[in-house]
Amino acid sequence: MSYYDIDAILTDAQKVPCTFELDVPSLGYLDNNAGHTLRSGTRVDLPLWLAEMLAVSAPSSSKSLVTLDIPPSLAPRVMNALKADPKSVDLRALAQHFYGLGARILELFEEEEICDVLMEGWRTRAAEISDHASNAGQGQRGGGGGVGSDGVEFLRGLDEAERGLFRVQHDSSKAIRVWMGETKKG
Amino acid sequence: MALPLPQGLTPLEVAFVCEMEMVTVIPRQQLKSQDLIAGPTPGLRPPHRASLPLWFALLLKRQRRANILPPPWLLPSSLEKILRHETEISPDTFSPPPPHPHPISTRPAATDHLAPPFLPSSTADAPPGYLPYHWLELGDILLEACSDDIPDADRVRTLLRDLREVRMAKMRASANDLEGGGVSSFKGVGAMEIAEGRQFIVGVMDGLRKLGASREVARREREEDEGGGAGGANSDDEEMEME
Repeated sequence: MSYYDIDAILTDAQKVPCTFELDVPSLGYLDNNAGHTLRSGTRVDLPLWLAEMLAVSAPSSSKSLVTLDIPPSLAPRVMNALKADPKSVDLRALAQHFYGLGARILELFEEEEICDVLMEGWRTRAAEISDHASNAGQGQRGGGGGVGSDGVEFLRGLDEAERGLFRVQHDSSKAIRVWMGETKKG
Repeated sequence: MALPLPQGLTPLEVAFVCEMEMVTVIPRQQLKSQDLIAGPTPGLRPPHRASLPLWFALLLKRQRRANILPPPWLLPSSLEKILRHETEISPDTFSPPPPHPHPISTRPAATDHLAPPFLPSSTADAPPGYLPYHWLELGDILLEACSDDIPDADRVRTLLRDLREVRMAKMRASANDLEGGGVSSFKGVGAMEIAEGRQFIVGVMDGLRKLGASREVARREREEDEGGGAGGANSDDEEMEME
């Protein structure tokens, strides 16, 4: 991921649940308790970049400052839904950068199953996206976006990476159509 | 990074490259040899056929100074055979590209690296029954510019559209077997089809690679640990791979 990549930055800004293992003085504002000590054992949602730094840093040699948990968007419930039917899950409602978050979490946790489910889901949904992207816009003259009503629901649930896929596929198939139309006109 | 240019070639660029393909023309007027950057063109004497680059042939055709002889694979019989191959004989793979005109042997030769558009895959003596690399754009351009030279042009147009649809479906199905590391075989896929699918396929593979990156790192670390622990086992592994 590039330093200047806005998607990478936004991915890192997504929140993950953390549990503080130590008392931290005057950090209470994180827990709506300004000016007070943040007690150990408090659960706070922190951005991924901060949570990662805190989790790997070890102020006292025995334990780290916070422990990370798997975010709710990658919870077993979601994984089961993805396993059952990848196309029916609204990933955007779970996380804007769902796959980016997934990849970052997989760097921190060794979760073979999540990795399998995410890869399979990405592949299945990509095929579906490709179908929608090549056909979108063809029926524009008849009004509407050219996407069937069942497709709208699916396309609304795409995460940012999938939207990028949709865009490139739509652009390239449109470019071909434009070129073929131009040769017809002469 | 600052300028996100699209990867690969646009359809216009592919069609431009395609115009370097050699086609066979039947001249209607005399024209002496022209000195072009790519070398002199053959002199044209009316009843004799000559091979010219497509762009030059199109120019002469437009000026009514030559007729273009359609390549053998663009005839309805050949296209029907290819379509049957695509739909019935091997419904999962693309039909094979034409054989390399200069047989590739173990001894390296200068002709080994010749690739379209510098192979004579669309001249009158090209083999029928194979779709060359630039089939889609060449067929489209020829149908547009000289449909009067192509026997049964409407049938050819329908067949080309059928072929394109069959192959688009295969291209779409191939997205399902993509892996992070490699692709299923794209042998026989044309230039325009690559231009169409490249960004999507690269995007899917990139996503898979990112998701699988941590597992890959873990696997490599584990291999390194095992390799450090037992040198003998490691050399055995390498021998297994060599076989």
